[in-house]
Amino acid sequence: MFVIKCPHCFEAREEEEFSYGGEAFVARPTSPETESEESWGDYLFMKRNPKGWHWEMWGHSTGCRKFFVLKRNTANHTTVGAWTLAEARKIYDAEEATA
Amino acid sequence: MLNSTTTNISEFSPVMQSPLHPFGLTSKQEKVNDGKGVWANEIPLLGYISLRGNSQNAAFVNAVNSALNVALPTQACSMSYTAWGSILWLSPDEWLITCKRDQRASLQGALETALADIHSQVVDNSGGYTTVLLKGKNASEVLHHCTVYDLNMLQAGKVVGTTFGKLNFYLHQHEDGYYLVFRRSFADYIWRYLERSALPYGFGIAQLNDGL
Amino acid sequence: MSNRISHKNSRVDLNRPLTFTFDGQSYQGFAGDTLASALLANGVKVVARSFKYGRPRGIIGSGAEEPNALVQIDVGARTTPDLKATQVELYDGLVAGRTSGWPSLAFDLKSVGGKFSRFMPAGFYYKTFKWPTKLWPFYEDIIRRAAGYGKSPIEADTETYDHQHHHVDLLVVGGGATGLLAALLAGRSGLKVLLVDDQSELGGYLLSMPNILIGGVSASTWSANIINELQSLPNVSTLSRTTAFALHDMNMIQAVELLQDHLPHAARNNAQRRERLHRIRASKVVLATGAFERPLVFGNNDLPGIMTASALTTYLNRYGVACGKNAVIMTSNDLVYQGAVDLAEAGITVTIVDTREQINPEWAAKTNQLGIKVYVGYGISEAVGSGAVQGVQLVKLGSLKNVVTAKGPYVPCDVLASSGGLSPTVHLFCHDGGRPQWDDARLAFVVSANGRAKDGIFCVGAITGVFALQEGLAKTHDTIAELLTGLGKTINASGLVLETDEIAVTPARRIFNVPDGKDGYGAKAFVDFQNDVAVTDIHLAVRENYRSIEHIKRYTALGFGTDQGKLSNVNGFAIAAEALGKTIPEVGTTTYRPAYTPVSFGALAGAHVGDSFEPRRYTAVQTTHERYGAEFEPVGQWMRPWYFPKPGEDIHAAVNRECLATRNSVGMLDASTLGKIDIRGKDVREFLNRIYANAWSQLAVGKCRYGLMLDEAGMVMDDGVTACISDTHFLMTTTSGGAARVMTWLEKWHQTEWPELEVYMTSVTDHWTTAALVGPKSREVLAKLCTDIDLSKEAFKFMDWRDGKVAGVPARVFRISFSGELAYEVNVDASYGDYIWNELMKAGKEFDITPYGTETMHVLRAEKGFIIVGQDTDGSVTPFDLDMAWAVGMKKPYSFLGKRSLARSDTSRTDRKQLVGLLPEDPNVVLKEGAQLINSSDITPPVAMLGHVTSSYHSAFLGRSIAMGFVIDGIKRRDEEGNNIVYAWAEGKAVKVKIVSYVFVDAEGARHNA
Repeated sequence: MFVIKCPHCFEAREEEEFSYGGEAFVARPTSPETESEESWGDYLFMKRNPKGWHWEMWGHSTGCRKFFVLKRNTANHTTVGAWTLAEARKIYDAEEATA
Repeated sequence: MLNSTTTNISEFSPVMQSPLHPFGLTSKQEKVNDGKGVWANEIPLLGYISLRGNSQNAAFVNAVNSALNVALPTQACSMSYTAWGSILWLSPDEWLITCKRDQRASLQGALETALADIHSQVVDNSGGYTTVLLKGKNASEVLHHCTVYDLNMLQAGKVVGTTFGKLNFYLHQHEDGYYLVFRRSFADYIWRYLERSALPYGFGIAQLNDGL
Repeated sequence: MSNRISHKNSRVDLNRPLTFTFDGQSYQGFAGDTLASALLANGVKVVARSFKYGRPRGIIGSGAEEPNALVQIDVGARTTPDLKATQVELYDGLVAGRTSGWPSLAFDLKSVGGKFSRFMPAGFYYKTFKWPTKLWPFYEDIIRRAAGYGKSPIEADTETYDHQHHHVDLLVVGGGATGLLAALLAGRSGLKVLLVDDQSELGGYLLSMPNILIGGVSASTWSANIINELQSLPNVSTLSRTTAFALHDMNMIQAVELLQDHLPHAARNNAQRRERLHRIRASKVVLATGAFERPLVFGNNDLPGIMTASALTTYLNRYGVACGKNAVIMTSNDLVYQGAVDLAEAGITVTIVDTREQINPEWAAKTNQLGIKVYVGYGISEAVGSGAVQGVQLVKLGSLKNVVTAKGPYVPCDVLASSGGLSPTVHLFCHDGGRPQWDDARLAFVVSANGRAKDGIFCVGAITGVFALQEGLAKTHDTIAELLTGLGKTINASGLVLETDEIAVTPARRIFNVPDGKDGYGAKAFVDFQNDVAVTDIHLAVRENYRSIEHIKRYTALGFGTDQGKLSNVNGFAIAAEALGKTIPEVGTTTYRPAYTPVSFGALAGAHVGDSFEPRRYTAVQTTHERYGAEFEPVGQWMRPWYFPKPGEDIHAAVNRECLATRNSVGMLDASTLGKIDIRGKDVREFLNRIYANAWSQLAVGKCRYGLMLDEAGMVMDDGVTACISDTHFLMTTTSGGAARVMTWLEKWHQTEWPELEVYMTSVTDHWTTAALVGPKSREVLAKLCTDIDLSKEAFKFMDWRDGKVAGVPARVFRISFSGELAYEVNVDASYGDYIWNELMKAGKEFDITPYGTETMHVLRAEKGFIIVGQDTDGSVTPFDLDMAWAVGMKKPYSFLGKRSLARSDTSRTDRKQLVGLLPEDPNVVLKEGAQLINSSDITPPVAMLGHVTSSYHSAFLGRSIAMGFVIDGIKRRDEEGNNIVYAWAEGKAVKVKIVSYVFVDAEGARHNA
């Protein structure tokens, strides 16, 4: 029952307008056929599922139907922000680089 | 040819039905009065054109502007009212154009011609949508029974896609009322839910002006 | 016997008498009463029997904290169980019943001999009634009947409920002194403010203490002035009879408003709601939820006539009810003294038993003046009485430790009240993760005024442990000033004088359980009244080595009732702490979860009932289907015609007739519910190549192709026919239930993985009405209405589409078939949907055209061996499992979705369950869908499960039953000679079945190519 500010509609909206789209930045292997059984399995099934901060994808289902990225604390539903996929990528990459 | 012996097509007299046709609203409508807090009616059988394209692409925007002779609303949640209807921003690359039904073909044709070489999509969706006008002194209250959206944020000239009960719709406010735009197959649920929600305030079927 | 007194500040209108009944007996009350105050005014002491022991119980509290007085209100469809009499507003003609006491309130079987208790120690559910398992339903029935609790209505609810969403700058919860002040100060600053309060009128505890002076005027005048000003502010709204029962993430508060239950039946408005659920999104929240008084725990403290001191005062001052003539009040603090003075001034004999060594000299003087006897340093070890309290046994307490040092006198009384301090109502603060802190000076779990300011939650008044009014008002001012400063606003307190004439408070004694000097063998001392949890039960739990308060709670049922332990929890935590040898903060609290008070299902459902319970989507042909007498079935959100029975036909007769008519002449199906997605752009073929398992590069304009959509795990997720309109324009169809999912799926892949592909997609599902004209005569029917499409076999082939006019309406016609018959799907703008359907029916009349529904559609497609995604697949089925390798383009350059997974070791196993046709040996037996397939009819365990039946029908066309199902290694096991046998086991029967191909009709395709 939290609120998300859609980065395309530029407005804070109720969670009911959105749907969860899974962990963000799970890259599809560029050449699936050469992936090993294990690495393909990881891509399909192994998610981070952290307690705490989580980069996740959401869709604005009743609104602009765009997918975007939300950084959310899974333990208490606080959010840092929501960004378009392209904006989020930069922030995420910078964060991963320092992690 | 097998079908050469068939009926003359001039015998046909096709009849259109709007999505709320089963509710028989026309026979129930009355002049708006102070006795009821909520008034609504369907604005039936408008033309609806779905338009997609990249609003960052100047060629696309220019082509649309010239085809429609009006500026395409590219700001988030903005819309334009035009001589023939309205253009609703749905997303950075999606719009819903409403017009009188008999203008749909020419508007669509103009768009298709102007956009012939530009990546875009123009689709007739006239059978797929309808619009309900909602007004009266308790109109916002009744909408707050139906949607999670904060109507305080809905100024004129703005359109939002949000929830209606367990479904979704597009909502904008113009002059005397709210315009609820939704899919044909949602009509039964949305109308029943609206009627149910409006009951405590008194609910009337408003006589519509000749225009919209 | 009337305890009603005429009291100058009472909120009860003695000029408006009301009649009501309780437990079959008629009484009189007055407007402004609650059921509890009216019962007390009538001298009714016993209102319930206790849960485990059947002990008589009376009213203890005056609000949401009440554990005993659970009543059944009203009868028939309106009856409501387990309301608290303290919260039920009286109206003329109210019918109230008891919810416990079996067979009656006066005589409860459980109380016989009072010895039942030894069978019901803490954890008795777990210990006593566990074995044997099969007797549990019997135990449960007896326990539940004996325990009490009301009866749910068995008639349909005739009243209505709804939800309302609010978006405000500030929500104030609680309309007592500090809540009112907070709302006013915020309202004056221009914020959009909503104030909710659970009582019938605003004022909170000021309604019980009307004689206190605030700014030189009486509390009642002070609050009336504030309420008037609030009402004059257009940016402030107030909701009374509205309980905020939950606080969720980011300050979403749910509150339930009772709109009509306080009105006599004749005054209720059918157009109005009974209850309304408010869902309030607030930027800021001020919790002014106050506190409940905590009773002291002592022997026989559950006798009727024993209540909290604040309840005793409330009944006197607010309702004009003297609960007795001779009152004893035991206290650990100063809070009871004003009430005691009010009682004495109303002519009631009052004795105070103060557990402290010293009492406040100012109160000592006042009580002395009024002739109130005060026992200083004493406690009550035991209440005495039969059916109601008749006196108390005092003990002298140690000065430092809570021990008995000497026996005290016996004091007779007819009402007994106690106060062990206040417990702040911290529930909402804690619902989304907040925790209260133990304040050892105030002896309470409290929250700080700005402890959650970063979340926008501020707290004022008693919830913060500030129990004195003047201090509370001053701190409210400061807290709201801080809140407003944060918003760049300044506070305006002009004209508000916040000084009171209260007597300064002196320290309380730290005591929860009054000792009786009997080492646990004395009279039962109850902590939780609703669940009959005594001090000894908590001690037993600790002896049995429960260490966490959460475990002790569950073992003893402490705080489990509909009152959620509002009176009992803190006493329970303190008693457990002592038994564990820990401090109270070390033990902590149990978890506060919504709902604060019970909420009706009606309010939670709101308008989501009846025909607006779930969206029901209809096609444009709905009214015509109804006219043809269709029965409907839900398919996702859609309501689709299921079959069209003629008079006297059951479903089997109708479906047999529809199937034969379609195979032999012509039938028609409303296929408008199929998802339709218009896809355009120069990369549309590549996009489809990636999305679908099969190939799209070569499909010619004017042609259609069946496609299988896989998820990344290689499992079939949807299917449908997609048409090539032009090189850059395709029209995709999806399953009816899967349309929205597929649309989202396409958008997600396009937006996140392949934004470089130039495609756009738009749902046109609702735009088109699709009439599927099916059967050998379909061409002749269509030909009557369509002259501009060449319908000949050569010109318009199977899997072609054409644009033209049908019955004068622009139409797109697909020659595709989900039945194996010659068929045309006629698509028109849905505005013409009903028209086109009726025109086709007219045109087909000479061929006895037969409308059919989903059931016949299922039979026809199963005869032809077409799958239904979601029926024959379940998310664990690959195209190869379906023997549909023909629909997988393994040579496409881009690794389409799911392709790599088809090569995973598990998906490429050869011994997977695979789809086959199944023919029961007895052609009259229709297998159960879901039946397990096993090797022999012997079901002696262990039985190897080979698979299961997914689709099964009687085929009128074949004159026998057919089925589809999954069998391990099924593709290899197919044998048209019928030599490969399995058994389908369901509902106690094993049926002999032959494994065959799943195409039962026209394997060579002569019919659809006709």
